[in-house]
Amino acid sequence: MLARVADNLFWMGRYIERAEHMARYMNVNYFSSLDAPNSRSQTRDFVMRSILFMAGEPAADDAKLDEQAVLYRVGLDPEFPSSVRNSILYARENGHSARDLISTELYESINKFYHFAVEYPKGKFVKTGLFDFTTQVTEMTAVLRGKIRGTLLHDDIYAIIMMGVNMERAVQVTRMINAKYNDAKKSLGSYGDRFRNSYEWTTLLKCAESYDMMRRLYKKTPTSLTTLEFLILNPKCPRSVMNSLNQVYRHVLTLDPLRAKDKASTAFLVGKVRAEYEFKRIEDLEGDVQAFIDHILSELSAIGSQMEKEFFHY
Amino acid sequence: MAAKTKNIFTDYDRNPKLFDEIYNQQGKVTKVYRKLLKLYGKHSINDYYDLNSRAKASFYNQGITFRVYGDDKTNEKIFPFDLFPRIIGAEEWDHIEKGVIQRCKALNAFLWDLYHEQHILKEGIVPVDLITSSANYLDQMKGLDPPGGIYNHISGTDLIRHTDGHFYVLEDNIRCPSGVSYVLSNRTALKRALFGVFNHYNAHTVTNYAENLLDLLETVKPHGVDAPTTVVLTPGMYNSAFYEHSYLAKTMGVELVEGRDLFVENDFVYMKTIHGPEKVDVIYRRIDDLFMDPLEFRKDSALGVPGLFAAYRKGNVTIANAPGTGVADDKAVYTYMPEIIRYYLGEDPILRNVPTYHCSRPEELEYVLEHVRELVIKPVDEAGGYGISIGNTLSDAEVETVRNTVKEHPRKYVAQPIMSLSVHPTYIEETQSFEQRHVDLRTFTVLGPDREFVLKGGLTRVALRRGNLVVNSSQGGGSKDTWVLKKDDDHAG
Amino acid sequence: MAETYTIRYQAENTYEHPVIEATWQFLIVPEENETQTGVEIRFENSAGAPWELSTNGFGFAALRVRNRYALQQIRFEASFRLTKTPVNPFDFQGQPPPLFDPETLGELPFRIAFATFLKETPLTCLPKDAEAFCLQPGAGLLENLQALNTWVYQTLQYTPGVTHVGTTLKEILDMRKGVCQDFSHLFIGIARRYGVPARYVSGYLHQGRGFFGDAQMHAWAEAWLPGLGWVGFDPTNNLLAATDHIKVAHGRDYEDCAPIKGILFGPGSNESRHAVEVQSQQ
Repeated sequence: MLARVADNLFWMGRYIERAEHMARYMNVNYFSSLDAPNSRSQTRDFVMRSILFMAGEPAADDAKLDEQAVLYRVGLDPEFPSSVRNSILYARENGHSARDLISTELYESINKFYHFAVEYPKGKFVKTGLFDFTTQVTEMTAVLRGKIRGTLLHDDIYAIIMMGVNMERAVQVTRMINAKYNDAKKSLGSYGDRFRNSYEWTTLLKCAESYDMMRRLYKKTPTSLTTLEFLILNPKCPRSVMNSLNQVYRHVLTLDPLRAKDKASTAFLVGKVRAEYEFKRIEDLEGDVQAFIDHILSELSAIGSQMEKEFFHY
Repeated sequence: MAAKTKNIFTDYDRNPKLFDEIYNQQGKVTKVYRKLLKLYGKHSINDYYDLNSRAKASFYNQGITFRVYGDDKTNEKIFPFDLFPRIIGAEEWDHIEKGVIQRCKALNAFLWDLYHEQHILKEGIVPVDLITSSANYLDQMKGLDPPGGIYNHISGTDLIRHTDGHFYVLEDNIRCPSGVSYVLSNRTALKRALFGVFNHYNAHTVTNYAENLLDLLETVKPHGVDAPTTVVLTPGMYNSAFYEHSYLAKTMGVELVEGRDLFVENDFVYMKTIHGPEKVDVIYRRIDDLFMDPLEFRKDSALGVPGLFAAYRKGNVTIANAPGTGVADDKAVYTYMPEIIRYYLGEDPILRNVPTYHCSRPEELEYVLEHVRELVIKPVDEAGGYGISIGNTLSDAEVETVRNTVKEHPRKYVAQPIMSLSVHPTYIEETQSFEQRHVDLRTFTVLGPDREFVLKGGLTRVALRRGNLVVNSSQGGGSKDTWVLKKDDDHAG
Repeated sequence: MAETYTIRYQAENTYEHPVIEATWQFLIVPEENETQTGVEIRFENSAGAPWELSTNGFGFAALRVRNRYALQQIRFEASFRLTKTPVNPFDFQGQPPPLFDPETLGELPFRIAFATFLKETPLTCLPKDAEAFCLQPGAGLLENLQALNTWVYQTLQYTPGVTHVGTTLKEILDMRKGVCQDFSHLFIGIARRYGVPARYVSGYLHQGRGFFGDAQMHAWAEAWLPGLGWVGFDPTNNLLAATDHIKVAHGRDYEDCAPIKGILFGPGSNESRHAVEVQSQQ
């Protein structure tokens, strides 16, 4: 496979995943906040700030936020590189340049997805369309994942796309943790350790589509500790950082099985990071969550550059 | 609704001055179309409206589109697809196929000669200035032997049917002819929409194009290569024909590369893969000569590969079509095609050329001066439609001016009769009915050293605007699925 | 008597922004021909990038360097040694010297054989109304071309810095100034106008004899004389090209002979400096 095309497919996977997480983050935060148990979590300003934080453009403390403007910027604004619409557009552009390698079915789905996003009416979106748009985005990304798994040969091409998907998932879940950690500090719970018991942990799990699974496993109201353990370290949770790293490792090995022992290879680096989390306890992290988040993000970014060097830039 | 009950062809407005592909002069249906018309008659015009909308959506979702230059990045258009197929009977096709093969072979021999001994110039059959003044003649190609001796591996021959009922060649495209992917997607779309109709005919498949193309490209691999690696070279995803490039790469199962994916080392070409460099042996390029290698041709070209021409010169890579083929599909060269065919093949041309009167020959000059109104007068050395006078659009004074200019510089002008394209019933969205529209036919030929392949189908392009003769996609043209019937097809209806 | 030449060529390119992937091609290697033999090549660059010897589209030796790592500056250094045997441009080998005869030059086989060097190019296209030297029919062709050589020499004033590689003959004739490329293009343009095949030559000129055009690569022209073959004219110095001229390549005009071509992608400007030194010993 061409190095450039691999790069495009990798980013196609990343952008699909990015669109999904941003869309769900908007959806869950906006709608679950409406009946949140404390008034702070319910305020529109609080929710808008959280969405902007997640989108990588945190608002200044004294900024006055217009709800429709924020929703438009993060959802549909063609001028904002991190808008959901642009992630979909980039996913499609990347897929387009590699369309000879992916299945017609997958391409057709991405193309439909793209037409859906760029043609979505702005007026409808900011007034009544948020739920419809974000729900459709998350559903369409699920369809895309199905097409990726079900209509591509599970070879190099599949491995590259899945590396993109899982890398981005690890990054997005970590960024979501970061955003909700930030929110939880502001919107404390009403009993006991108020940070630990913030309602924001529940919202976080819903943003990662992991609330039900988590309840099933822990059978208790989520706290900071259990939520972070589940979303970072639990290898069985399909959205956890650990699970994503395992996936990346698996796929990078199919690309280059012989290089896993080579210390300069991506496979070696992913394996090393993976081993680090495999033997970590959540109690070790709790002291300084922020430092830990920064640490994961920098490790993920190191993996990304290593991949670029090894596979994409001959 | 009235539309529901009316027969779709009741209101078909037939202009008897035009050659209609499905109705003869007496208004009777042509043999090959009889069965089709019966089958189509079973549907109401509303059915066609629905089918048309669905076909459009399907093309759009599949991204079978072309980009319009100069517009916004997101501006993609579908190449309108018409629901009414064009049918060509076995016998008629046989004639076309033999004719285009003859032309392609003659063009290949002509190119070989132009880049080697130049006999045809020395004997004065084709004027030397016509060739040397052409920007498409590449001096760098002189004396080089392309692998297998093939220059125009892929040719697109444009044909029209004139009011006299005969096919004429309008143009030979032997640089990077495009459109073949539409032939295949049109067939798919038509079968999806009207498979019941398609099944009543025994038409040739068009899906064997890619495998024949790859097979023939591999027969012209560089010397000493066993299992060649072939690639399709595209200018990139913003090129208007990118869909076609990716389609061809995909159906041939080869990599679709851009210039930046390739590099040259020690006069061999490599592509950059995730596992390092991989040697490339055959390049089906869809970029123009002058953009191929910035070290040799246009140095501002960001699409090319530095050193590619040197690799080609050494015989380490095959480029299809060969660099420098453009010189032979010039408008001015076209007028010499009958002579070129006779010269190299010793045969009479099978397909007609639009007759050309060379004003340099006194008896032809006389004819031209007397018949200005029925002719198109063209300067020999101007490209791109400059200085053309169309006789039936001129005022008396203008006719006089043309006569005088031609008389003054007879060597500089040629003249051709005004040709009319045949018409074909075509579904028109605005009026929701079938109307006559002008059509042409582009055939696709692949030439190898030992055999050749003509795609049994071709692209029928339609001028969607009433009375318009221009069938280009950028000018609002559409296309039709084109059926070539097998010999044993019972189309008596 | 044969002379041994040593030529040193240096180039240094500086880029505003780092260049990641770049290819350079140098058309600087002396041609191996009847009078130039035993060419030895040494070449190195400051980036340690691999180089190879290839050919350009007309078969002349081209040095090519491809670099894959970011750089903002690169130096190239080449040196060549060769043996040059003296050339006598007046050696007619017993044949009568040809006359300038438009009719013979206009014959079809002749025009076909030399078409490449008879056609106009953007850089050698003489304005239709340009007042320029006229060849005299009936007089010797060599004398005619020598007179043309002198005319170009006298018409233009050697002035570096006023023209560039894309300057047209019209501009040159308006300014009446230029460097060796411009002198050569003017000579070629006029020769071709009269049906005399003429080509652009790039090469080195032995320094230290006070000629114009040293310390850089030099350019002159070659014209075809029936019975004689290609003869070199150096209109910049009003000379016939002889022992002091070391030929590298020829082409239709400068475009075919550019000594250095760099293909790189990215924003920003670049700066380029060259130096040439030619030494001989008998």
